[in-house]
Amino acid sequence: MGLFKKIQGFFHDDWCSKCQSEMHENLRQLYALPVMVDQYEHQEEVEYFTGRMQKVGSKAEIPSGMYACDVVAYQCPACGYKVVKLTVFLPVRDQEKFEDVYFFEKGELDRFLWGN
Amino acid sequence: MEQTQIKKVNGLYLVLYILLPIVISAVCMLISVLFFPKGTGAVILIMGPIMISFIWWVVGGKTIFSNTFKKFETELDQQGFVRNHTFRSNGCNVIVDVVNGGIAVLFFWNPFDKYVLPASRITRIWVEDGKTGSGILEGSSRVSFLMEIDGRIKIRVNTFTSNKLWRMDSDYILTGISKADMMAQALQTAKNKSMGI
Repeated sequence: MGLFKKIQGFFHDDWCSKCQSEMHENLRQLYALPVMVDQYEHQEEVEYFTGRMQKVGSKAEIPSGMYACDVVAYQCPACGYKVVKLTVFLPVRDQEKFEDVYFFEKGELDRFLWGN
Repeated sequence: MEQTQIKKVNGLYLVLYILLPIVISAVCMLISVLFFPKGTGAVILIMGPIMISFIWWVVGGKTIFSNTFKKFETELDQQGFVRNHTFRSNGCNVIVDVVNGGIAVLFFWNPFDKYVLPASRITRIWVEDGKTGSGILEGSSRVSFLMEIDGRIKIRVNTFTSNKLWRMDSDYILTGISKADMMAQALQTAKNKSMGI
């Protein structure tokens, strides 16, 4: 993962990378990623996430030592650009240990998120 | 049924592990002084045992512990023990069977006694994050989960150790806490299962 993308993951993730407009949040959902602590590795395949992620209501539902994914789907009102940001983190009591961030710009997660 | 008494340290093993190489080195040195005061024989008799002793102290115990643990895992599988969670640390390895409510423990300083216990014998389970200091000096150098067996024997398993003090929000400490919480939860689940809760 490039440094720029990592920084982008922390700051201004709701800005359109094409026209710099503020994007709308179409969906925000938390998922449990059934991978135990220390066993997560950076992934290239989206199927890794779609095949494992389980929808949860809150962090409290995720067992200790299991990773979580925060998925946010954005859409730019000005140019129509769509992107899904997936952040992998380890929930530890009231804190979070950041692991990875992915940006899906080609609709790779659409079928999983909206079922079409 | 008689309960197995847990012994974390085998005194004889500990003494032999430390002292036997020293005794062998001393005897070889004495033989060298008496019979081979010079030359290749002296070098081999003096330097050889010393070098082998250091190698023994560095890797000997770890090798014994690791090999015994592998055999222990095989034996557990044969007994129908379900290895749901395995945690390896320097001092002892713990395996939790959540399905049948059992725990298996092997201690580094007592690798010849393999303990398989019903989790109901655990009287207390807790996590220590090792937090010390306050303000900018707040941090930890050790995170562990602990269990008390029969209300008497405390077993500490470190999930993170360091010779430095790390901030409580550092990745190392958070990972250590996460592992400790996970194991504590597994032990509690096994205990509940063993007690029929």
